[in-house]
Amino acid sequence: MPTNTSELALTEPGTVGPCHVGSDALQGIKRQQTNPTRWNGQGWTEFAAALRDNGIELRVAKAARGIFATDAGGTAYGLPHGVVIARSAAQVAGLLKAAQQFRVPVTVRGGGLTTEGESVAFGGVLLDMTGMSRVLQVDSDALTVRTEGGIFWHSLAEELRRCGMDYLSAPLNMTASVGGTLGVGGIDVNSPRLGCSADQAISLQVVTPTGDIVECSDTQHAELFQRVILGYGQFGVITEATLKIRRYTPLRMHYFYYDSLRTAVEDMQLLNRNDASDYSGILTIMDCAVNLLVAFDSDEREAAFRANWQRHLRGYGESGFALCMLRRYALRPWKLPEAWFLLQRKRELFPEFRRPEYMRDGLMHDRAVVFSRAVWKFWGSKQMVIPDLATSAEKFVEAVERGNAVCRKYFQHYTLYCVGIKLRPEHRPHYEMSCIPPDAEGWAYGCEFEPMMDERVYSRDYLQSFKNAIYDIGVDLGGSYYRFGGMMKGYIRRVFGDEVVDRHLAMKRATDPAMILNRDVIF
Amino acid sequence: MENYKKSVQTAPKSHSDCSGCGLCMLVCPMWRRNRDLQHSPHGCAKALQHGAAPDDLAEALWNCTLCRACDPVCPEQLDISGMILKLRGQLAHPQTTVLQGRMVAQTKRPASACQEKTALLAGEALRAHPALLKRITALLGESGVLAVAHDDGADISLALEAGLAIPPARLAAMIEPLRRADKVIVADGLLLPYLAQWLPAAQIFSLGETLSSLESIRRNLRSTDLYVIEPRAYHADYVRLVKHYDRLRKECGCDFNLDLQRIAIPATVRSLPQRLGLVASNDEDQTRWVLHGRRITRIVVESLEDRAAFEKVCAISVVHLAELADDL
Ligand SMILES: Cc1cc2nc3c(=O)[nH]c(=O)nc-3n(C[C@H](O)[C@H](O)[C@H](O)COP(=O)(O)OP(=O)(O)OC[C@H]3O[C@@H](n4cnc5c(N)ncnc54)[C@H](O)[C@@H]3O)c2cc1C
Repeated sequence: MPTNTSELALTEPGTVGPCHVGSDALQGIKRQQTNPTRWNGQGWTEFAAALRDNGIELRVAKAARGIFATDAGGTAYGLPHGVVIARSAAQVAGLLKAAQQFRVPVTVRGGGLTTEGESVAFGGVLLDMTGMSRVLQVDSDALTVRTEGGIFWHSLAEELRRCGMDYLSAPLNMTASVGGTLGVGGIDVNSPRLGCSADQAISLQVVTPTGDIVECSDTQHAELFQRVILGYGQFGVITEATLKIRRYTPLRMHYFYYDSLRTAVEDMQLLNRNDASDYSGILTIMDCAVNLLVAFDSDEREAAFRANWQRHLRGYGESGFALCMLRRYALRPWKLPEAWFLLQRKRELFPEFRRPEYMRDGLMHDRAVVFSRAVWKFWGSKQMVIPDLATSAEKFVEAVERGNAVCRKYFQHYTLYCVGIKLRPEHRPHYEMSCIPPDAEGWAYGCEFEPMMDERVYSRDYLQSFKNAIYDIGVDLGGSYYRFGGMMKGYIRRVFGDEVVDRHLAMKRATDPAMILNRDVIF
Repeated sequence: MENYKKSVQTAPKSHSDCSGCGLCMLVCPMWRRNRDLQHSPHGCAKALQHGAAPDDLAEALWNCTLCRACDPVCPEQLDISGMILKLRGQLAHPQTTVLQGRMVAQTKRPASACQEKTALLAGEALRAHPALLKRITALLGESGVLAVAHDDGADISLALEAGLAIPPARLAAMIEPLRRADKVIVADGLLLPYLAQWLPAAQIFSLGETLSSLESIRRNLRSTDLYVIEPRAYHADYVRLVKHYDRLRKECGCDFNLDLQRIAIPATVRSLPQRLGLVASNDEDQTRWVLHGRRITRIVVESLEDRAAFEKVCAISVVHLAELADDL
């Protein structure tokens, strides 16, 4: 094992070296390098001068760069040499042309909500897309919006609501950006019905890695569109997007409680298969209290659910579940600390989802705000790992149960978040080498495994081992992952196979000859 | 009516506790204006975590308008605006001498003790509108005897905003005359949480909340009104006031300058140099954003500063809350 960095083999962009930090997978799969080597800065001065000549502001002060030292995960750290705030497609094009010429890596960042360092710059330029965050046009008749790519979903919602509109689906996280999300997926509790955020994009303005500004869609420059959507920022920078929108509706919420993951997952899949709800998802406190959330946009849909499907669900109401828990812990007094934790958690969590200012006449308003605030309040911390598994419907219960066993082994407290994603057959080309598993038909299912840090600080190796143990299950099951870039990219070849990866690598080399755009995220 | 209580009672946290969720950025008017993370509490905290010094952030720190919108949205319950003021304290403000001079001068002019149980700190803006002030005192006087404090701490408010320490003698000169009051109503939202500390035995209310609690005003609010909450007091006492205004919405059906996080969108964005009149204010984009897409027939404001801002950008009629009351 090399003892200092000078002994590390230098790797060409596009290849991944052996990892001298992360432990091997439990299956004995050799780890590949997790953190990329810092870019050596060659040609930086000339590059900076070229940008200056072009009128592109490059910030090099420590304060400007320090802001971007890590992402939401807080385990990957790297400083860019300089920061550019995106202001227009032409400016981004100028930046990328110079970057190609001088072979300077450019890391694009939206909300920076990655957890594996995908939006962290290990040297080179950090391109902050939030500088391009204006809504350009809302068309309430055609139900579309044209927006700049760096806009946060929440800011988009703020504008849309002023004309009674809403986006279709977006991460339950207000500071995710449109561009960053279209590149990775975007799962909402309505994804079982509407698909992921990436499915909502009608057309994009993309700046290619060589600095061309191209409008693309399923009919115009379709190949570029297919690669940029769910493409992890490898094939271009999304500077504008036209998205589908809809009229805003508050939600009629129902919660069902289970003490079995399997039963809850089966019930959720039953609802999805039968289009019995507008929203569904599972949120758990470990595997002890499993909450299936079911919600509706209209009284009619809710009434149909009550008439046809509610009786098929095996979950309890709140009081029924309390009795069930009482029975369980009365028979297992040695598990009382766990019962106490559940009770505490319930006391903290439940009011957050029922805050009067978001509930009107029994309907929940602004679900993304309610959920996102709760996510950050109860699960957020400076260090976050959220490994996940994405599988076909058939394999999902096994994935969840095996992942749950891993969580139990590594952490005292954790949460699982499970949701379905309706697949669009015509979008198959978008799904290749993405979070959508290749064998999924109809729906893909995803489960996030989120440990609670409980004010403790874990070593990076411990967290990496945990993630590896979860991702090994994905290899076994032939699934995929939402977060397969950055520190987890060692799994890419295992899970997608050499043929697919090499084909994408060849496309990447063709569109990005100097391999400057989001280097080390995937390739 | 319960009075102001500081909802954040936990051990003081600092920028190093920021987990980087960015929720504060979404509500920050300076971020909205600049679309630049450096001009946001999130950006400042992250920069400080990674080696920046307060001097490196001087521009952003001075530009902050102290609307306090970032405080209630922080899941870590950081006292973000308090942190900004502390950091300002480490910078030298060019107007420090002037602001200190004002406090010294005011200390030399002690105010007489307030003889009534309720005191109103009207603030400079209201004092400049004697007719409106008279109307407000009459309205508030109806529900009990009210005294308008002679010293409403306008100089202290500016000094706090500059991150300056308040000399004990100046503080005593302002606070001692208020000791007899068991209820203090304050127009300057910045002072609200400070008064709660300085006068622990008294109940402290914002002028906006007090007026909007009066039946004679509530009954004249219309469903086509846009009610503009003064952000500083609202965010300082958010947990309680969010419920107060939600009740008002249910009762009157009017629209509010609230965003989807139920945070008050400021109609003006004034940095300290702008408040001091050293730099021209430039609120129009922000004021227009408050109005954007809303179908309203009247704007009702709690603050006179907001009235002027709306009158500048639209032809919709703008009234102060106190003007809604039936004729006295
Ligand atoms: C607490 C928490 C909760 C989350 N909840 C959800 C959830 O409910 N659903 C869900 O789907 N996800 C969720 N995520 C994941 C996260 O929301 C997604 O990864 C997010 O959509 C990414 O958006 P971003 O703007 O933060 O992208 P970033 O993290 O900034 O970037 C993501 C990737 O895209 C690239 N990129 C960024 N902007 C652009 C652009 N304009 N053009 C091209 N490439 C770009 C970056 O280089 C990076 O590789 C959560 C994450 C956290 C930390």
